[in-house]
Order: sequence, then structure tokens, then C-alpha cells
Amino acid sequence: MKRIIAFLALALLMIPAAAVHAQEALPPLTISSAPRAQPIAVSAFKNLGGDDNHRVSETFGKVLMRDLTLSSFFRIIEPSSYIEDPQNSGFDIGQFNFGDWSSLGADYLVKGSVTRDGDNIRVEALLFDVPQQRRMMGKKFTGDPHDVGEMARRFADAILQSATGKRGPFDSKLAFVSTRGGRFKEVYTSWLDGGGLFRVTDNPTINLFPGFDRSGQHLLYLSYKSYSPELYLADLQQQLETRINPGLGQAVGGTLTPDGQIIAAYQRGGHTNLYLLTQAGGMMRALTDNRAINVSPSVCPGGDQFVFTSDRSGTPQIYAESLDGGDAHRVTYKGSYNTAPAFSPDCKQIAYESRTPGAFQIFVINADGSGAQQLTQSGSNEAPTWSPDGRYIAFSSSRGGRSRIYLMRARDGYVIAPLTEGEGNDTNPAWSGWMGG
Amino acid sequence: MIRIQRGRGGWAVDRGGLTRAAGIAVVVVALALGGCSSKQKKPGEGAGGPGSGMGEGGIGGAGGSSLGALQNGTLGANGQGPLADIHFDYNESTIRSQDGEVLKANADWLTKHPGSRVQIEGHCDDRGSEEYNIALGARRAQAAKDYLATLGVSGERMSTISYGKELPLCSEETDDCWAQNRRDHFAVSQ
Repeated sequence: MKRIIAFLALALLMIPAAAVHAQEALPPLTISSAPRAQPIAVSAFKNLGGDDNHRVSETFGKVLMRDLTLSSFFRIIEPSSYIEDPQNSGFDIGQFNFGDWSSLGADYLVKGSVTRDGDNIRVEALLFDVPQQRRMMGKKFTGDPHDVGEMARRFADAILQSATGKRGPFDSKLAFVSTRGGRFKEVYTSWLDGGGLFRVTDNPTINLFPGFDRSGQHLLYLSYKSYSPELYLADLQQQLETRINPGLGQAVGGTLTPDGQIIAAYQRGGHTNLYLLTQAGGMMRALTDNRAINVSPSVCPGGDQFVFTSDRSGTPQIYAESLDGGDAHRVTYKGSYNTAPAFSPDCKQIAYESRTPGAFQIFVINADGSGAQQLTQSGSNEAPTWSPDGRYIAFSSSRGGRSRIYLMRARDGYVIAPLTEGEGNDTNPAWSGWMGG
Repeated sequence: MIRIQRGRGGWAVDRGGLTRAAGIAVVVVALALGGCSSKQKKPGEGAGGPGSGMGEGGIGGAGGSSLGALQNGTLGANGQGPLADIHFDYNESTIRSQDGEVLKANADWLTKHPGSRVQIEGHCDDRGSEEYNIALGARRAQAAKDYLATLGVSGERMSTISYGKELPLCSEETDDCWAQNRRDHFAVSQ
């Protein structure tokens, strides 16, 4: 009970302003269930008043089912096969018949209730172990109608916590670049499941390399909107942005550190080096200082290390270095073109793209340079980014023709689903941390 | 700091003045110092207006900037401007011997047109990561600038920019197309 109350308090505090404007509609995605996924039933929620059109229950269920399927741990038992009428039975233990669910082959069951009073919505969601006829976990959420999707995402994360011992990653966002709006590359954000699509940039030039800070409220990106490449730091909540202008040359790219500082790549005289900047863009120190290319910084979220691409050895390779300065050490030796490194959340692994005969593929390697493993096999694949729980990697791929963002498991490279569909090309995925803290 | 306001489906960043399709007026307010982006601009206009893409007062058409050509929908359809493109080997930024004559002709044209300025654009083929390719394109642009300087073109008349692999002339996955895209383009103004 204590945990439920704590979660309730969190939910009340943390509803982000951006969600108010977000579209909760989920884009159509082709998602097949993973092999050996466990069967789960997601019952409609009992209306305890105010949800007579079942909008809240349907939205919660739709988002929850998508996220559970994307997890690759679960497959949803088709709701049209459900026997029980949720309005005519209870939703907690002892108030319904487990036999109605075990006969469908369900290992897990989600039930719950909705109470709506105008714009005040209260959802109670429960997870059951069907074979053991046991309640595993429950959460209560309150918020307004725009928050229902996020409630479902948090519940999906809690289901993974309960069923696997490790929190899920669905209360998080994806930033990416897309030409869906025309021929110009623009920056978008959405929830991982595709809900809440939000267009950040709207200028007829080139916008690239979005990346979140730890809170998910700030987004750094590169834009040619001034007709010269420059970095911009957008505050998504305040709707303000700062042009980063340290006077170090032309911007090439950058990333935000967990502390909210910026590691940026600037080129001058054809040489590109990395610099640590304050959030306002003030120069703190040079992190590299040579006549080579040094780009694509990625910071270990929990430590003081970062990785980057450098061609100081003659070919682009991955290097690691301390944020305090000090010598960079080379991580990759195999292959003649290794770029776009991304530190895993536990800082033990680095995902990167490597040129193989005919295509680029995503690899992971241990931070000490051992155990390189090719994860993708099909098509050409670029720009890996890790989920906050470290289970998944999103990347862009042209395997289906147009470039799309795809989701795969980090442990075995199983490709779960495309995360984007529709017009245009989608590139430059960047995964946020957990939005709800 | 620039105020950005929500427009159609998101924010209008660094644009101003006009009413949007959604009926929301978008205003850009400069709160702080000297940002060149503090000027209000009509949609579609950059610093040099559509079609020029130059920092200041560029010309459109074949000799204009590649970003301007993208805005005009003419990228890849252009003939040559007064200055010809040069090309590079894969992942290389060394001026090839056969391009020495092209650069000599470009230097001669610039000498005969002393009021002109050139922005040298470095471009890459579509293989490899985007960020690395922006750095590689910068190196290619710098290589041509250095070469033209040895031929007597003043550095003050030349600027460089890299577009990485963002503005390809063609999009086939063939050796011919890749070779066309690995280029320096010379955008002339005045």
C-alpha cells in the first residue's frame, strides 16, 4: 500500500506540460510477437463512473498492449476472445473467475478500473499471475485525459519490473529526424511507442542529431537554419532555445552530458575537435586537440567516461576518454570504418556502426575492447541508441526501402519492430531517459 | 535566447511574422544579444533568401548554394555554374591530380571577377555516419580552399561549409552516383 501511495504522489507531480498537447493516437506499426513471448490478457477496465464511452479504458489498453508487445516479453491474447464482461465482474482478487482467463491460456492478466469526474481521471491497474491465481502488483494513477497514455506506459514499465525483476523502458521518448513533412530534415519527438508525435523544428534547411539530457526536457540538435551549421539547445518545457556559440568554428555535432553540459564537435581549418561546454555554450576545455576528425561523442550516463569517433589512426575508429581530460584509448581495432558509438546505460558496452562488405551493421563491444559482436544482419543499419534500461537498442535502417527507426534486443539482436512508418525517411534516433524520473 | 512558439504540429523555430495554417501567429522574439537569427523572417527565407542559401546576397541557379537548390527543388538538376565541381575518392580529401586543372580554371575565373566571393561546399556520398561525413566534408572544402589560395585567390574571398551527406545530387546506390556526390561545389555570390 505504501508503494501505491508513493507512486500516486509521483504521478501527480510529474505530469509533463508537453503531454497536454500530445496526440495520444498511436501510429500503425507492424509488430509481430517475439518467439517464446508469454501470453498476457489485458481486460477492459471496469467503469466506476464517468467513462461511459470507455475512452479512458480503451486508450490505456491500447497503449499498454502496444508497449507490452514491443517489450518482446509478452504476446497479447486477442481481446475479442475474452469471456468475461468486465462491467459485470469485479477487478480485484476474489471478485472474478481466474478460470475465464486460464481457459484462454493466459499466464498474466491485467484488470483495473476507471473513475472519471470531468477532467479528473483515476485509474487503478492490477497485474495477476493466472496459473497461481495471485495478485502480483497494483498501481493507482490520477491525472487529466491527456495523461492516460503515460499512465499506461508507467504501468507497462511496472509490469516488466514485476515479471522480470527489471523496470521496463516505455516511459521514455525517442527523438529522431524525419522528412515526413516534405524534403527537409526536421527534428521530432514521440513516446517510444509512437504516441505523442511532436515536431520540434520547422525550418526549410537541415536539422540533425537530436539528443536529450537526463531529464528529457532539453534537446540539443544541429541546424543549418542560419545557413551555417550551429548547435541549438531547446528547452522543451519552457519552449525556449539557446544558440550555442562558443566561437570555436563550425559546429559538426554534439551531445548533452548527464550534468547538463555539452560535448560539441567544432571544425576549423578542416580539423574537427571535441570541446566540453557549459549549458550556455561557454568553453570549458578542449577534449581533443589534433589535426584529425574527432566526432560523435557519447557519454556514459553514470560515470565520467565518453566515447567518440576519431580517424587519428588513419581510419575512423572508436575511442574512449575521461571527461576530466587525459589520453584517449582506442576501443575498436577490427574493421576499417567504425563510427557512431553509444555508451550503454551501465557503461559496460558500446554500440556502434561498422562498415562490412556492402553494408553498415550495428555491433556492440565491451568498453575494454573485448567481445565485439555483430547485432544486425539485414540491410544497412546506422546510429544505435540505447534504452534507459539497457535492454534495447533503437537504430535506423533502410532494410525495408525507406529509412526507418527499428527496435531490437541488445542481448541477441532480435529485431522486434519498426518504431516509425509512413512518408519520408526517419534517421538519427536518440532515446531519452525515463521521463517520470 | 530565442522564444519558440508552437506552430502546426510542433514549434515554429526561428521563423516569424506569418499566420500559420493552424491560425496561430508565430513571432520570434530575440531576448538576448547579437543573434543573427533574431531578425524576423518569413517562412522559407533564410539569411540570403530561398534559392541563394548564401550568407549574404548569393545568386540562385547553377552557381548558387546546394542548400538553396534543395529549397528550390533543383538540387541535382543543375548544370554547372561558372565554377566547376571537383571530386574525391572514398573517405579521402586529397585533391586529385585531374582536378588541378579544374581548380586552376576556377582560380582564373575568380581572378577575372574580383568582386565575387565563393563559398566552397564539401559533400560526401551516403555511406557512413552523418556526423563523421560532416567532418569529412569540411576537410574536403578546406582542401580546395588551401589549393585556391596557392593559386593566388585571397582567403578573404573564400568561405567553407560542409553539408556532409545531406545534399546528394543523386541517390542510387552505385559507384557512379557515389562518385558524383563526393564533391566540392563552389557557390558564387555577386
